[in-house]
Amino acid sequence: MTTTASTAASAPERATLEERLLAFIHTELLAPGETITRDDDLLSDLLDSVAVLRLATYVDEEFGLTTKPQDFVVENFQSVAVLAGYVERARAASA
Amino acid sequence: MSRLMHHLLDEAAARRPDGDAVRCGGDALTWGALATRAHGLAHRLRALGVRRHDRVAVFLAKGLDVSVAFYGVLATGGVLVPIDPKSPPQQIARILDAVDARHVVTEPRRAGALAAALALLAEAGRQPVEQVVGLDADGLDGLVDGLGVTPPACLPWSVLEHASSAPDVRVLEDDASYVLHTSGSTGMPKLIRHTHATARAFVDWAADEYRLTADDRLSNHSSHHTCFATFDYYAAARAAATTVILTPAVMMMPGSLSALLESEGVSVWYSVPTALVQLSLRGLLDERDLGALRWVLFAGETFPPKHLQRLRAQLPAARFSHVYGSTEVNVCTYFHVPSQSTAGGSDPEHEVDPESGGAGLPIGRPCANAEALVVDDELEPVPDGTVGELLIRGATVMSGYWDDDAKNAHALVRIPAPGGFERTFFRTGDRVRWLPSGDLAFGGRADLQVKVRGHRVELEEVEAALLRVDGVDEAVVVTLPDGEGSLALHAAVVVAERLQADPAAADGIVGALRTLLPPHAVPARVAVRDALPRTPTGKVDRRAVRRDATSPDTGETT
Repeated sequence: MTTTASTAASAPERATLEERLLAFIHTELLAPGETITRDDDLLSDLLDSVAVLRLATYVDEEFGLTTKPQDFVVENFQSVAVLAGYVERARAASA
Repeated sequence: MSRLMHHLLDEAAARRPDGDAVRCGGDALTWGALATRAHGLAHRLRALGVRRHDRVAVFLAKGLDVSVAFYGVLATGGVLVPIDPKSPPQQIARILDAVDARHVVTEPRRAGALAAALALLAEAGRQPVEQVVGLDADGLDGLVDGLGVTPPACLPWSVLEHASSAPDVRVLEDDASYVLHTSGSTGMPKLIRHTHATARAFVDWAADEYRLTADDRLSNHSSHHTCFATFDYYAAARAAATTVILTPAVMMMPGSLSALLESEGVSVWYSVPTALVQLSLRGLLDERDLGALRWVLFAGETFPPKHLQRLRAQLPAARFSHVYGSTEVNVCTYFHVPSQSTAGGSDPEHEVDPESGGAGLPIGRPCANAEALVVDDELEPVPDGTVGELLIRGATVMSGYWDDDAKNAHALVRIPAPGGFERTFFRTGDRVRWLPSGDLAFGGRADLQVKVRGHRVELEEVEAALLRVDGVDEAVVVTLPDGEGSLALHAAVVVAERLQADPAAADGIVGALRTLLPPHAVPARVAVRDALPRTPTGKVDRRAVRRDATSPDTGETT
């Protein structure tokens, strides 16, 4: 897989959010040298179940969320872009 | 009339051509469509030179193509060698080399891993693979440049034609049908050879015992290189039923999984307990209607009673069975959990000790056409109720480990029988005893083989991999409870002097391990130590390592 620049998000805040998620995944969850982009499918090949749980824990701690089982679904975790959308919605809902 | 594995496809396609054979992620293949595709692949593989007894590796992620590849290979008279799609290149290389696979069936997103495996083989002066199905003609170009690999000829799936019948090939029941792989203590995976007869014996028994019908929908959890998949795919075929393949994404998200079970109407489930514990804890079962789920089979490790009890209350309509047997024997004993079970934890006979493997539920009684012996170290039967090693004989037992006389001599023991004959038993390495009920109880392992969330892992294999990492001088791996009814791996290592002050040493080791071992065999924690604790005789003191790993103050890095 090759690195490509993140597609610009609608707001700078969104881009920063995605960058933080990507940084965590790269440093904590992927093997050295492995790189992904915001649209790569995290759940098919890249992350195992332990890594996905760590990602969910990171999201909760970093953004002050409580991800419930109802939210811990493929539709919210499929890719960094999708996950950022979930974080934004969840933050808005809890604000 | 011979009973071959690929006859299962022919019979299901004749019986229910328009019924779904496999479903995955919203796509489906009917039995009729599966048959014409598999036969098309078989003719193409024959044209590419595959002959009876030739090994064909199948390296695919879960998906509809898996069953096409399975039956396509079997119908050539060749031997199917499914490779774990999560295998690191080193393991892929070892398997391809050991079975001398000249043909590989794969897909574009596995090209990188395949290329890396071919490069490792080329480095060692080996080049078994000549033809690859599933990649564009230039699918490996660029990936193997400069690595000393002569790229095999590649051919994309898109050129495969459909064919109404299989190639005309003579295959006998005792020809090899497939070679599966599991963890091996030396780092070389154990390669387990089943014949058409030994595989069919299990498939036919299971379809019968679990009363599978064409209306059933079986969920497929495990990767197709495991004996779980033998049930999910082939026992389903035996009944012309439907296999619902669960993608990794769905399996990681219990809420998504339960939604899929409901929408797909899954009726029979077979997995390791861990998947069921997750479903019970986080699967939102009170919001779902899983009334179609009639039978839940689990195997691979002990089901923690409190979780089983809760799950049974959540799924009141389902029956539960504990199925036991290693890949070498498919399944050899089974225990139908009684409807008014005492397995809830109050019965001292069912106390669970995850560290030893625990007694837990009984593993039950031998399947039809199988015989169990409990023996001592001299292979003499022990009195009923005494713990001994379980030996199994019967139609479902593998023919042997691939090309490994030493392992076969140890694992397949011959016991004299009247008339100058011998009976061959498989040594399971599992410690068991007979219960007064006539069931067998599991009592741990005689060696360092453990189960991590249902995956079989030899601790020595992980230790051997650690020692291959640059800078690791000594290593030991132990298990600790993972807090959810299974075990997690913990490693303690002594590193070379230059790494001793490096705070990132443990992370680097974990990173390197990921390239050597499948994900489930990579320790959750690696602790860097000045020295490993030793017993007075100088052996590594595993108990002390374990104690050390659980004490809060160790300053470990993960």
